[in-house]
Amino acid sequence: MSVISIADAVKEYRSGDRTLRAPKGISLSIDPGEFVAIVGPSGSGQSTLLNLLGLLDDPHQGQVTVDGARSSGLSTRERTALRRDTVGFVFQDFYLLPTLTARENVAVPGMLSDRERTLARADDLLGRVGLGDRLTHYPNELSGGQKQRVAIARSVVNDPDVLLADEPTGNLDQETGGQVLDVFRGFTDDDIAVVTVTHDTQVESVADRTVELVDGLLDPEDR
Amino acid sequence: MRLDRFPVTALAWRNLSRAKARSALATLGILIGVVAIISLTMFGTTLQAFFLQDAQDFLQTVQVSPGEDSESPVLDQNEVAEIRQLVDASVYPVESQSLVVGTARDTTRATVTSTDRPRAFVTAATGRIPESWRSGALVGQRLAAQLDVGVGDALRVGDRTVRVVAVLEENPRGGFIQANSGVFLPASQLDTGGTDRVLVREDSPEAAFAAAETIRQQLNTDRREQVRVFDAEASIQRFQNQISTIQTFLLGVGAVSLLVAAVSILNVMLMSAIERREEIGVLRAVGYHRRDVLRLMLGEAVLLGVVGAVGGAVLSVGLGALINELLLGDPTAFSEGVLGNIALGIGFGIGAALLSGLYPAWKAANARPVEALRD
Repeated sequence: MSVISIADAVKEYRSGDRTLRAPKGISLSIDPGEFVAIVGPSGSGQSTLLNLLGLLDDPHQGQVTVDGARSSGLSTRERTALRRDTVGFVFQDFYLLPTLTARENVAVPGMLSDRERTLARADDLLGRVGLGDRLTHYPNELSGGQKQRVAIARSVVNDPDVLLADEPTGNLDQETGGQVLDVFRGFTDDDIAVVTVTHDTQVESVADRTVELVDGLLDPEDR
Repeated sequence: MRLDRFPVTALAWRNLSRAKARSALATLGILIGVVAIISLTMFGTTLQAFFLQDAQDFLQTVQVSPGEDSESPVLDQNEVAEIRQLVDASVYPVESQSLVVGTARDTTRATVTSTDRPRAFVTAATGRIPESWRSGALVGQRLAAQLDVGVGDALRVGDRTVRVVAVLEENPRGGFIQANSGVFLPASQLDTGGTDRVLVREDSPEAAFAAAETIRQQLNTDRREQVRVFDAEASIQRFQNQISTIQTFLLGVGAVSLLVAAVSILNVMLMSAIERREEIGVLRAVGYHRRDVLRLMLGEAVLLGVVGAVGGAVLSVGLGALINELLLGDPTAFSEGVLGNIALGIGFGIGAALLSGLYPAWKAANARPVEALRD
């Protein structure tokens, strides 16, 4: 049973007087604990695919199913709640809040709802990604690799089923990129699926499955 | 600030401290507006107390003199008796005349007033005003200086010579009796042919205004102005109009500075929302509802308002205490309404901040996370 899937998804963009379609009718299904790398030339719709999977965006056609729930027909509020419960995001630019310490950054998703538990869990997670001694450091006191590991800890603090990572190693050197991938691998062992868009061959080598997105279509067509 | 206790406030505080100068300036605007609003009545009331503290006697006195339709230039015995019956207060018949006064060396023209109990209106600087006054003159300080006379000296008043028994303290009040450059003689030592006015001294301005009204109604019948009744009500009115002009001016200053402050907060919050597009996008991505983002942004605006308003209130009270000390000699001489006034000022300050935070917060909350996170 897949944890997240997308079927016949089409997203249209207007560019001047032309309408672009990317992705143009793709289907993909991710299993629990699976590590999937999406590769391909830039501008083929990779980020859009992640946004669709993460319920940040809505396809013009097709269907996204997360944790058994279909995204179409959900209100903004329901969609946000579903995202909060099932999806974690990791970005190329980390996007940590500069005014918060590492543990506060990790706890941000639960800060307005379940503070005590979230802060405790943040400490655990930072220990797990190897930053147990950096709890009270601010982002500007951390290296790029450390920031990304904080961001990954943040992405799993809500106990999601799937992590969506957009070029997570794009701003990191080979070695720190490798450490980040180890962290991802640690979470897939806990049955958290990881879907990452990447241009990094190192990521492909670690992934369970690599799919290529070219011109808005998947190759191989792998459901 | 502890994030685990007050997350919204703490997040807002930390965000504001990222752009300290900007936040401080926005806060300053609110502070100035709140000071103006609180000062509005606080200083007005202090000024009023200051101007009225010396005028108490004046405000409590009613003067009755012959009116336009009176056949005589003086009040007759019946009229004086009638006034005594109408009011439950001290009544002082007064006669005045302009006479030549002087010594062998120097003479001048002065107002000579005759009344039986001058202590109600004047006090002695040197010498004393006799309990039972039958002879001797009281001389105003300015006149005494001009003529170079003191207690015990002889003074010519009209065609008689009297001895000076007291030199009077200056009375600064724009009162009914001018002591400074006049001479006082005991009752009925002037030959004016009658009482030219009657002064009624009440316990409070309100009682004086009421007494004035009674005398008007009872003595001026058939639309004839038999007597002219003067009380301080019109003066008070005029004075209060001036105070309210000052207050309107301060209200204008307050309104304008709050408006400027609101615009400045609007600007600060909009810039903040634009600068933090990605951060806000991330918050939305990790599951913050639009309402949560709204709360965070409004929290920042309100925090600016709270800091400005409380600062403004503290500053106003400090300034108020200083002005009270300077004008009234008592820093704690605040009027009764001052608390309500402070609450009003704080309310307006925070309200302005909240209002101007609404649009930026709404804008930030409704930005689509996809667009915010697009490179």
